[in-house]
Amino acid sequence: MALLRYESQVRPALVEGDKDYHQVTEDICRPVEAKPTRAWWIGFIVSVLVLCFGILSVTIEVIYGTGQWNLNKTVGWGWDITNFVWWIGIGHAGTLISAILLLFRQGWRTGVNRAAEAMTIFAVMCAGQFPIWHMGRVWNAFFVLPYPNTRGPLWVNFNSPLLWDVFAISTYFTVSLLFWYAGLLPDLATLRDRAKKKWRKLFYGVAAFGWTGSTKHWQRHEALSLVLAGLSTPLVLSVHTIVSFDFATSVVPGWHTTIFPPYFVAGAIFSGFAMVQTLLVVTRKVLGLQEYITIEHIEVMNKIIVLTGSIVGIAYLTELFISWYGVNEYENFAFMQNRLNLFSPYGWSYWIMMGCNVLSPQIFWFRKMRRNLVLTFFMSILINIGMWFERFVIIVTSVYRDYLPSAWSTYYRPTIWEVGFYMGTFGLFFTCYFLFSKFFPVIALAEIKHILKKNGENYKEKMDEIEHETTEEFGQKHGHDHGA
Amino acid sequence: MDNKYWQSFGEVNDPENFRKQSQDEFHEELPFEGFDDKGLIDAKAPRRDFLKYLGFSTAAATLAASCKVPVRKAIPYANKPENIIPGEAKYYATTYVQDGDVVPVLAKVRDARPIKLEENVLPGSSYAMGGTSARAQASVLDLYDMYRLRHPQHKVNGKFEEVPSFEQMDKMVGDAMKAASGSVVLLTSTVVSPTTKDIIAKFPNLKHVQYDAVSHSGMLLANEACGFGRTLPSYKFDIAKVIVSLGADFLGTWLSPVEFAKAYAKGRKIEEKNPQMSKHYQFESHLSMTGSNADERFTHRPSETGLVALDLLSALGVGFFPTTSIGKAIKKVADELNAHKGEALVVCGSNDKNIQVIVNAINNAIGAFGKTIDFSVPVNYRQGIDSDMAQLIADMEAGSVGTLLIYGANPAYTWPEADKFKSALKKVKVTVSFNEKMDETTSLCEYSIPNHHYLESWGDASPKAGITCFIQPTIYPLFKTRSYQTSLLRWSGSNQDYETYFKEYWIGKFGGTDAFNKVLEAGVKEETASGGGGSYNGAAVAEASSAIAAYPKVTGSELVLYQKVSIGTGSQAGNPWLQELPDPVTKATWDNYAMISMAKAKELGIKLDNDYEYYPEKPVIELSFGKTKVELPVLVIPGMNAETIAVALGYGRNEGMGKTAAGVGINAYPFASYNGSSVMYRVTGVTATNLHKKYRLAQTQKHNSYENRKEVVRETTLASFKKESNVIPEWRKELEDAFYKNSNGSFRANATLYPDADTRSHEIKWGMSIDMNTCTGCNACVVACHAENNVPVVGKREVLRYHDMHWLRIDRYFVSDEHNPDDLKAVVFQPMLCQHCDNAPCENVCPVAATNHSAEGFNQMTYNRCIGTRYCANNCPYKVRRFNWADYTGADSFPDNQDNQLIGKLDDVVFQMNDDLTRMVLNPDVTVRSRGVIEKCSFCVQRTQAAKLEAKKENRMLGGNDVKTACQTACPTNAIVFGNSHDKESDIYKVRENNKQRGFYVLEQLHVLPNITYLAKVRNTDEEDKHWGGHHEGGEVKETMPAATKPEETTH
Repeated sequence: MALLRYESQVRPALVEGDKDYHQVTEDICRPVEAKPTRAWWIGFIVSVLVLCFGILSVTIEVIYGTGQWNLNKTVGWGWDITNFVWWIGIGHAGTLISAILLLFRQGWRTGVNRAAEAMTIFAVMCAGQFPIWHMGRVWNAFFVLPYPNTRGPLWVNFNSPLLWDVFAISTYFTVSLLFWYAGLLPDLATLRDRAKKKWRKLFYGVAAFGWTGSTKHWQRHEALSLVLAGLSTPLVLSVHTIVSFDFATSVVPGWHTTIFPPYFVAGAIFSGFAMVQTLLVVTRKVLGLQEYITIEHIEVMNKIIVLTGSIVGIAYLTELFISWYGVNEYENFAFMQNRLNLFSPYGWSYWIMMGCNVLSPQIFWFRKMRRNLVLTFFMSILINIGMWFERFVIIVTSVYRDYLPSAWSTYYRPTIWEVGFYMGTFGLFFTCYFLFSKFFPVIALAEIKHILKKNGENYKEKMDEIEHETTEEFGQKHGHDHGA
Repeated sequence: MDNKYWQSFGEVNDPENFRKQSQDEFHEELPFEGFDDKGLIDAKAPRRDFLKYLGFSTAAATLAASCKVPVRKAIPYANKPENIIPGEAKYYATTYVQDGDVVPVLAKVRDARPIKLEENVLPGSSYAMGGTSARAQASVLDLYDMYRLRHPQHKVNGKFEEVPSFEQMDKMVGDAMKAASGSVVLLTSTVVSPTTKDIIAKFPNLKHVQYDAVSHSGMLLANEACGFGRTLPSYKFDIAKVIVSLGADFLGTWLSPVEFAKAYAKGRKIEEKNPQMSKHYQFESHLSMTGSNADERFTHRPSETGLVALDLLSALGVGFFPTTSIGKAIKKVADELNAHKGEALVVCGSNDKNIQVIVNAINNAIGAFGKTIDFSVPVNYRQGIDSDMAQLIADMEAGSVGTLLIYGANPAYTWPEADKFKSALKKVKVTVSFNEKMDETTSLCEYSIPNHHYLESWGDASPKAGITCFIQPTIYPLFKTRSYQTSLLRWSGSNQDYETYFKEYWIGKFGGTDAFNKVLEAGVKEETASGGGGSYNGAAVAEASSAIAAYPKVTGSELVLYQKVSIGTGSQAGNPWLQELPDPVTKATWDNYAMISMAKAKELGIKLDNDYEYYPEKPVIELSFGKTKVELPVLVIPGMNAETIAVALGYGRNEGMGKTAAGVGINAYPFASYNGSSVMYRVTGVTATNLHKKYRLAQTQKHNSYENRKEVVRETTLASFKKESNVIPEWRKELEDAFYKNSNGSFRANATLYPDADTRSHEIKWGMSIDMNTCTGCNACVVACHAENNVPVVGKREVLRYHDMHWLRIDRYFVSDEHNPDDLKAVVFQPMLCQHCDNAPCENVCPVAATNHSAEGFNQMTYNRCIGTRYCANNCPYKVRRFNWADYTGADSFPDNQDNQLIGKLDDVVFQMNDDLTRMVLNPDVTVRSRGVIEKCSFCVQRTQAAKLEAKKENRMLGGNDVKTACQTACPTNAIVFGNSHDKESDIYKVRENNKQRGFYVLEQLHVLPNITYLAKVRNTDEEDKHWGGHHEGGEVKETMPAATKPEETTH
């Protein structure tokens, strides 16, 4: 019998280890259903402690005033807004993976999208802390919300980029959260159905919103996912664009730059992917999910990192070129003296940024390096350090020496409470992440089954068998009676 | 038949039900459905009712818990005094007198509290011409100083104890004086009060010694030697075409700086049609504020002052053989002086009689006497003779002084050999101090009978012949204090108190109560000066010049002691506003330090790198001379004589001066020396060693150069200005042309989407103009702004963190030779405050619209609305917005959070400023800002509002000059002009129209449309300024946009 089938060898399986559907469910539900490990407890407790220090730092700042930080009359923003932009940037990868890659039908995303989305949500939560608590009078923070009030004709200022931030970030957070939760529903139903204890049944039962897995549910679920993906896609681009407007629309030399929107978005994706790498390299190891989050995933994401890193690099060089080529003496000074000049007070921070963001990712041009887990982990950390410095360079080195030399600042460095606030957001982030990894499946259970090639593999195996059978054998075996 | 009026069918057809319904339209009680008396659970809809209850009770509980009503301590008048309307300010003419400085002022009294001092301008007066000094402005805070002595005290067993009444005190002192043998001596600082002198003269057997902390006795003696008597002359800086100062800081601290600055500014104002200004040469050793304003400055060793004077004298004649290294400069100055005979004057800050004799000879040679220097109107600013003081100490030591009464003098602190004074004081049987604070001398006395603050007391001052200034009380004495004159009267056997004496004296003099009251109202009375005079006699010159020539030649470092405009001799050192006032030259607050030259820094191994500039930690050196050794931080200043080290006096006070002054800086008086005839404020042969330690010095400005940013500062030389007078207008036109190239419409209108205030010419548009040519950097405006706008004092710790709150600051830029930064060409002072931009970058970035634009051109700040994002401060190109980093004012929502022991611990001074007593100085018209909000210059909006109300009451239009800002009235040189720029009669309109060639806006190219015009600084030199214009270098094409010019291109 002639072989009438053609098998493409282009794509290797996205899930390794020849899993069947049940096995997948078992593997992914195991960490959720088993007792937390010792490592989990240690990690969780450390995170909570760090979070508590963050809460202390913020409490002290709120009680005693922003003077607990070392900001001054010239440098009005420092670590606070640097951290804000940094976290917001990190919060970009999740939505990119879930929304844009969904629209582009990138099957590999299913291995990492759940964790990446969770990371997005937690990162946005962390980011949101900074613009709130950096306010001098945070108890009046609700003034930024445009609601009808009894204060006469008082209204928010729609001209202010900070107000745009309020809308951009709250929208982004809402949509991301919905998207993430919509994706979780079938998985929560699975956990509910598998639950043996009463509280688990109750918890997952409530959380699953009565998902029964009917076709109608699936149909609506798919439609909702697509709609949310469609909504999120422009948000990926718009949120960081709007954050960049905080700077781009100002008059401060070094901030007032039209290149900022694309540059910020690329940087955000860059740092977001780096953070996904940091988390997944650890998660897959700790939860034993190497077969779901494969080395292929790591490699693909490293490719995105080298791409976005290079975009960011080009943006840096463009900025530098324009400041030299352009005619603005003040912008020239901001770039050439405040940044490029290594011997200026903050020159070192510019070169850390350049080293981490532009030079170091170039190593990922090599396949071997892209598939090296230790290097990937190290690089992901390095990149996020670099991206933190990018925001620091933009914010601090622009304002500390701007138009009037008389106002040039004294050296700004953070106090323990500024650092503590930043640490605290790490605590918040990892506390959330540990809770998430304990109570929710870190891999999209329902979605990853779509990419399982189990049916095809079964078919292939069976076909091999059948091909070697004679007609009689076939008829006998399979009990087909062809009218004999 | 009655008519029935009805509105609806319901009302006609079912009147009962309708009435019920209309009554129930607004339920007065919470509409609990079927609740009756059945209890919540049994109600018809318990869930809803529960929620209603919950909502109501939560809201009520929240309201009850959160709205803690503060206790207000306001008591209305039981009987309203006539003429007093609560909330309306009254102004009383009085006079600030301190150490011989006499400044006529108006005290603004709100609800019986003096809260601000204003200039007193009397039309036609030669003395009350307006303007104040930083110290005069700050003196209102001294009234509320919590460290003032509050009652008479007597020392028992080495400790002061309160004496319950003045009668008891008088008896105690009287008995003691009777028992003590020896003479009775009254030691005071210069007394300018005619009545006091009268009282002293009447006191039997009272010897009066006047002693000035920083003395001018050399000058007094020199004038005596030259035949003018022991007096000081009037100086006429306004008519002098050439002014030469040999180390006299006449704009800052020398004799009568407010008066001199006023006169000086007259000669410095430029009229554009015929640009002319006086020429100011300064010879000095360190960079003083006056030196900073000089057109040409030459430095020399402090020990060479005499030689410079001698050289100048000889250069005025023929055949000049210079003895100093700056002979060429001296020759030039001498030629200039010769060319302006009769319209030039030379002043000298030295306390050396010989040098002052030579200076008199110079002034005689240039015909200054009778023209620019007038001995026919002698002045009384300083009368102390150092040798009298030395003699007094010798007498005390010898035991011949039985009673020493001290007022206004503090020799235990200021006398060069203070220890000698202290030990001599022990030998005096009865020692009484009338000083207002427990200063170094008072703490050593036996009796302390504190004097009133001048704002609480009657008094008078005669700064110069023919001029009488009145002091009148503006508040009932806060404490149990008494005029020292009353004490003197009582002890001399009179039953009068000073007030009665004073009134009787002047009523008698003026011939009636009406005349007296008239003077009291005006504050100053002017009569034609009588007497004075004498004619020049050069007999002493030969002796003086040979004495000077014999002065030993000095090598090595020399120390010069100077006064700061803020602290002066130190008598007001306990004043928080003055301590926080940045020095005009160094921009340092809260300390004194050693000013050294760049050469000296190099010699000491001090590196002037980034760390030096950007960190507050400054290198510490040790200065030693004989037994006196001090450690001082260093500030390297250009334009210093290479070997000169300058240290300010007035620091290093004891606890009794209050926590503000105690422990701030070091006392430099021990470096002064008494040479047998006068006190010398310089030390030769001082050793400086680098201790390789660091000390944190709080400066409010770090960078010293304006980096040739023309958009920020425009300054040039008179020669260049005359040659090319339209550089600025052309440059501004280029800016507009560049704008039109890319867009159409008007430069102004296109800047912003909002309607342009400039087009509404029938309305008010406030504007300001600041003349950088007449701004001397004296800082009076900064303190005035503090007082007017309740600007908080933050203390050294916070200034170190760059958290100073000044709404108005004076930016100081050094202009040096390109190749030699030590060669100082000029110092530019640029008062910087909110520019009230019409297209303000701060306004559109505030998310909550807390800062916005008024129709009158104010960029206004709504503190209540501010949530403190600081975005506006970041986006302000002028960096004039100030953030309340901590609870500086006690106005915070969180109670008691000033006691912060963590980061940003607040200094004692913040607590002092928040003391109930000190807070009496607050201006009730201006909100005290709470922690977490931004604040900034408001263009004194409370004053514009008050003026509008005034105009409304008088039913007239508001005049363009009706409002004067606090900084404007404080300014002794009228550098600041404010008003309605739409009013063509207003000064601001005229200033802008008449100064088109110098007027520019800072950073105009940013298109923020600022509302403050700056008039470029012009130095009167013949030097050509190659940065001016930019058309000099062959065929170089100018960039189209001023902003466009790169530093390399503009600097060459």
